[in-house]
Amino acid sequence: MYEPPFWRDRDRNERLAATECSSCGYVSFPERREVCKRCGERGEFSETTLEERGIVQSYVVQNRLPEAFETPLPLAVLDVPQVDANDGEGTGSEAGDENAGEPARVYGLFTETDPEAMEIGMEAEAVFRETFDIEGLPVHSFKFTVPRGESR
Amino acid sequence: MSSDTSGREACVIGSGMIDFGELFDQSTDDMAERAYLNALDDVDHGISPSEIDAAWFGTLNIADDASSGASLAHATGLFEIPVTRVENACATGSTAFRSAVESVRAGETDVALVLGVEKMRDSAAGLIEGAALDQVWRGRGVTMPAFFGMRATRHMHEFDTTEEQVAKVSVKNHENGAKYPHAHYRFECSVEDVVESPTVTYPLNLYDCCPVTDGAAALLVASEDVASEYTDDPIHVAGSGLSTDSLLRGDDEALVGFPATTQAAGQAYAQADISASEVDVAEVHDCFTITELVTYEDLGFCEKGEGGTLIDEGVVELDGETPVNPSGGLLAKGHPIGASGVAQVVEIYEQLRGEAGAVQVERPEVGLQHNIGIGRNATGSVSCVNVLERR
Repeated sequence: MYEPPFWRDRDRNERLAATECSSCGYVSFPERREVCKRCGERGEFSETTLEERGIVQSYVVQNRLPEAFETPLPLAVLDVPQVDANDGEGTGSEAGDENAGEPARVYGLFTETDPEAMEIGMEAEAVFRETFDIEGLPVHSFKFTVPRGESR
Repeated sequence: MSSDTSGREACVIGSGMIDFGELFDQSTDDMAERAYLNALDDVDHGISPSEIDAAWFGTLNIADDASSGASLAHATGLFEIPVTRVENACATGSTAFRSAVESVRAGETDVALVLGVEKMRDSAAGLIEGAALDQVWRGRGVTMPAFFGMRATRHMHEFDTTEEQVAKVSVKNHENGAKYPHAHYRFECSVEDVVESPTVTYPLNLYDCCPVTDGAAALLVASEDVASEYTDDPIHVAGSGLSTDSLLRGDDEALVGFPATTQAAGQAYAQADISASEVDVAEVHDCFTITELVTYEDLGFCEKGEGGTLIDEGVVELDGETPVNPSGGLLAKGHPIGASGVAQVVEIYEQLRGEAGAVQVERPEVGLQHNIGIGRNATGSVSCVNVLERR
């Protein structure tokens, strides 16, 4: 039902599965590597899972896109924290709990969001959506939106 | 260049380009041939095609009609020699130049041709496809204006850079482009024109974005040993750097600039044994206004966060201390991808030889060329920096 790339990436796309470098704490998502792309070490990577929320680091609002996208489309770079980031396994966090572990930095498409609501530093909720389809067969993953109960 | 890399130095001995624009009446081969012939004709003491030992061909091949070295050979008649096709995203042209320089320095080649060409207008969908429709996380929905616009939003947030300061890059480059005969767009515009033009991707408007342009450019690169056979005024390639980085490695600097540019510039400055303050004129990659503004910082023309101040102070104007993009840059001249980096070197070559006409800056001795490209579904960046000197 999935084309091979989406079959291979299902854990990342559907469960937000990521890996954390034991040498520098870098969280790799969606790639799973044997070499860390930040510190360059052939380190040990441990499995981790990302939370279904993130903090916007920067964003744009796209007005002109192929028909497959709804416009205007807010799009952000977000820091998405690890689930159970306080379990003492993580290292290298600069802020907050010293055992917090680092967030992953990812691109995130937004949905159901007023572009005017976008701002750097805002928290966004990850919601499970159909991202696109391949000849009618859906590929699901997460998009981001302003959390319910807050102004949108 | 530093003495430990090689005993030979590479020089530019001739350059040629065509007038950039929407060139529906010219094929890729037509443009490539004309740029090549212009470069041959530019050599002070003349050159025969048979004296060219090898060629490097820069193209992204957007129109799908120039995929290999054979395309260059067919367009120029240069058969029976090594031709290497180079592709390095929007840094394709300067990477092709750098590759020729490396071969000349290594002693493998005495005279090299560098030819960059791109037919953009035949297939207008090319850039929209940058939205990476088939990706889930890496670059889905990320067009080129989005990739660069991310830096603008963050730069304005972090350093209080204003929309007007960003717009001034476009105003400056259009003012220069209006005087530059090869430029695609030769009109002037105001800050109001830029900020009131239609929004493409917030915070970037139409006049913050380079146009879709066809073009070609060529360079002849020779070993210093033989350069005097061709010209009394060769321009030395003093340093060359090339680096790659990613937006998503977690480095906060990558949200407000391009670490790959700082890395490539560091390599080029070290090889040329100069500092950023010694650069007299620069052609830098201004695919969008914000790209040029953050590049001032990444190249070391000012501290990180002070790009807006630098343009307010007029330092980068044609008559400023360090003129940037006297040709009008990609914003006015156009950005035919494979040709862009080659054309930037053509312009630095003209500037250093005092042949830049209406956009000539006062007696430059050190010129810098910078190209940045985005690859791998809008996560990776590649930057190439070349330093040229008149001695």
